[in-house]
Amino acid sequence: MIQRRSREGSTEPLALEVEGLTVTYGKEPALWNADVRLGRGSLAAVVGPNGAGKSTLLKAALGVVPRVSGRVRVLGEDPARRRRLVAYVPQRTSVDWDFPTTVLDVVMMGTYGRLGWFRRPGREERAMALGALEQMELADLADRQISELSGGQQQRVFLARALVQDAEVYFMDEPFAGVDAVTEQSVASLMGHLAQRGKTILSVHHDLATVPRYFEHAVLLNRVVQAVGTVKEVFHRGNLDRLYGGRVPADVPELAST
Amino acid sequence: MSAPWVELDPTLVVVAAGTTAVGTVSGALGCFAYLRRQGLVGDVVSHSALLGVVGAFVLAHALTGSASRSLAVLVPGALIAGTASLALARSVSNRTRLNDDASLGVMLSIFFGGGLFLLRWVQRQSPPIPGHTGLEDYIFGMAAAMTRADLWMVFSLGGGALLLLLLLWKELKVFTFDPDFSRSLGLPSYRLDLLMMALLVAGVVIGIQTVGVILMIALLVTPAAAARQWTSRLSTMVLLAASFGAAAGAGGALLSASEAGLPTGPVVVLLATAIFALSLLLAPRRGLIARARARRTLGSTPPPAAGGAA
Ligand SMILES: Nc1ncnc2c1ncn2[C@@H]1O[C@H](COP(=O)(O)OP(=O)(O)O)[C@@H](O)[C@H]1O
Ligand SMILES: [Mg+2]
Repeated sequence: MIQRRSREGSTEPLALEVEGLTVTYGKEPALWNADVRLGRGSLAAVVGPNGAGKSTLLKAALGVVPRVSGRVRVLGEDPARRRRLVAYVPQRTSVDWDFPTTVLDVVMMGTYGRLGWFRRPGREERAMALGALEQMELADLADRQISELSGGQQQRVFLARALVQDAEVYFMDEPFAGVDAVTEQSVASLMGHLAQRGKTILSVHHDLATVPRYFEHAVLLNRVVQAVGTVKEVFHRGNLDRLYGGRVPADVPELAST
Repeated sequence: MSAPWVELDPTLVVVAAGTTAVGTVSGALGCFAYLRRQGLVGDVVSHSALLGVVGAFVLAHALTGSASRSLAVLVPGALIAGTASLALARSVSNRTRLNDDASLGVMLSIFFGGGLFLLRWVQRQSPPIPGHTGLEDYIFGMAAAMTRADLWMVFSLGGGALLLLLLLWKELKVFTFDPDFSRSLGLPSYRLDLLMMALLVAGVVIGIQTVGVILMIALLVTPAAAARQWTSRLSTMVLLAASFGAAAGAGGALLSASEAGLPTGPVVVLLATAIFALSLLLAPRRGLIARARARRTLGSTPPPAAGGAA
């Protein structure tokens, strides 16, 4: 469908197009007049202080928070019409890991969108989930109760669930938060593989030091979008000072100078 | 017809079937309330239902002249009052600085207080409204008053609730575990939330005749909490909780029939609590004894905390 579109016209739809987006929960806007454009195959980090609206930007792109004004397009369409082409990795701490369920069960939730109402996952869905677990090196934990996982394993379970969604665009909320070195490597290489295959990734990232290593693009956000572009263009000391109000940790390496 | 059933008191059969059904349904539905930490919501619904029950009685008397204590009249009243108190609590917490729990507490006081007030008013009417004695049983429950028609009400409402649970199993599961993710799949979270509330309300109103509005919450949450100790699968947990609820319901009916003066509702709840206490002690992995043992074999190393960073 997307290929056909790109042959017809010269303009291939962007993976994500956010224009003049404002979102509020209470009185204060969590996002103000945000503009973000991401081409397909982008590997982008969303960076900004706590409460900057990073998770909100992802949720707006998923079409799950009501927007006050503005426009969101995913692959050229309203997010509500692109659900099957989008995968979501919520913040790991947003769920109760003491919920009574197994690793395989959580990963199979990635098939629920395709299954639709009422249909139960069957053998095929199980096989897909096992494949994704294999890819995240969790195959031997398939029947494990999720409360018995380490933080890194929890994160890889969420990523396996996103893999099962077999999407074009991946929205990830802090997939590197609180994980061990092994998981950090596997998350980074997974992102790299997906991007190589033309998938688009927009990932909230909290560790400034590793932005240049893992990402090609960056969205600098603090309620308003301060800059969007390649890491080389926008991820420099001047922008970051502005973003964090001059409180950037001094030891951030690999920063391009202004 | 087999021999033992002929000898059983037909009233007892109705009562035992009713309490068993009530226990089964509230055990199953209670699991979702438990996992969504909505125990307080269930408590508000059941306390508020008293106003609905007495109100429906008064209204039926005013409209038809003959008041009825049948569930067919009282359940709609309980449904309306329970739903109204939840809706009001939600709008209060949306519009004021009161948080959710405080708003729920306020509605519980208003509706339960209102229910007690109206009940006292009904009891003071002269000439007395026929059939009003027994209304006060809704406070602590009176399973023995259950008729065949009431049983039919319990079966149909409870059966309907369980059927919905079964049909929407995977949707309710993912919505309960990970609401953000389920929204990203396009599941209508507002409607699923309402549906869960409706199921909870249904579970409460069919049980209040048996155990009363004050103890009803125990019958919802206790079997779920007990079942959680034994299993780490949602389906097993729901089945177990339903069985625990059924056992407590049946046991309560039989015990109170064999020993004169034992009130059915409180006995049902005490049995459920006993099952919970045993589960808390004995369950493998989660039980207190198993954990104490694990701690001893591990020596000084503390057990791994759930959700800890790697
Ligand atoms: N569901 C919500 N209800 C009310 N306020 C919220 C909600 N979610 C986020 N907020 C507020 O919106 C702002 C942005 O939140 P968020 O997008 O989570 O920030 P970040 O992910 O950058 O830390 C914060 O001030 C937060 O408190
Ligand atoms: Mg966030």
